[in-house]
Amino acid sequence: MSILHLVRSSQFNSSDFLQCIGVLTPGDQLVLLDDACYNLHHPLLIAAQEKLFPQKIAVVTSHAQARAVTLPETITGISMTELVHLTFNNDSVVTWQ
Amino acid sequence: MTEKQNKTVAIINSQAPFSSPGGKDALDTALIFGSYEQNIALFFMGDGVYQLIDKQNPELINQKNYLKTFSAFEFYDIEQVYVCAQSLKDRGLTDKFHIENTTLLEPAQFAQTLAGFQVIFRF
Amino acid sequence: MITTPPYSNLTATALDYVESALKAGFEVIGIFFYQEGVLHADSNLSIASDEFQAVAKWQQLHQQYQLPLHLCITAAEKRGLRDDITPTNINPLFTVSGLGELVELTDKADRVIQL
Repeated sequence: MSILHLVRSSQFNSSDFLQCIGVLTPGDQLVLLDDACYNLHHPLLIAAQEKLFPQKIAVVTSHAQARAVTLPETITGISMTELVHLTFNNDSVVTWQ
Repeated sequence: MTEKQNKTVAIINSQAPFSSPGGKDALDTALIFGSYEQNIALFFMGDGVYQLIDKQNPELINQKNYLKTFSAFEFYDIEQVYVCAQSLKDRGLTDKFHIENTTLLEPAQFAQTLAGFQVIFRF
Repeated sequence: MITTPPYSNLTATALDYVESALKAGFEVIGIFFYQEGVLHADSNLSIASDEFQAVAKWQQLHQQYQLPLHLCITAAEKRGLRDDITPTNINPLFTVSGLGELVELTDKADRVIQL
């Protein structure tokens, strides 16, 4: 059973991302959107990368671009339509907001 | 567990009980799912564990004591209550709760148990 | 389930998600408005015309895809939205519902997303 984790808040402001990382299991998918784009440059991103395969971490491209947040090379940018499809590639969804 | 093939639903409680309406909203949601005989479980993590702590006095701050309703979980067939042991530890808390029949889980088990549910809400 | 208010950019994200799903051919069996999300149904809502119009967007999706918009009345009443006064201040676009509707939708749906 894999979970799609949607993180929507900045770790600089709330502990949602930290809590999410606490329950990640291999095979899960993590997507950063909204203010969670800022987490791309938070030290905790490494903790997420240690738990998941690189292709299992993504960010909604337009949300990062809107915030002038650059994508690290290891992170995949996706569209909202791709996010919709990820919803069905996993068994359940948790939103961390 | 009911005989009908209901979805398994988890509700994560992540907020401390009083300053945010999350705890009460989560409780209302859980009780409705319970009264419709759905297979529902509650997960307490982060500041959500503060909802379980014994000897709270919400009356002192003009707060309705909705935590008392937690003791009716069994009446609503809510039999799975999971608590993140790490969240307790981080906050210097022990499992002195105002309800019984909770299951303390270490992070890996907590994550694995959560992954077993088809629908997950978080408040 | 929508829990964010109409003036939040988080709601623009939710609308983008729902519209993308509909355009990709997925059936969205219902939207359930809970917590601050119920504020979408306030018929007195007035958001400056040069800002994002969340309600107009919900209306468009509702009309184009027959998307049901369910309002949790308990959460709505707490925020001043009333179906028991005349005239009501609940936008007729929304169906007055309760958490029981969320149970039914959850039971029927393949996936449930909280935004």
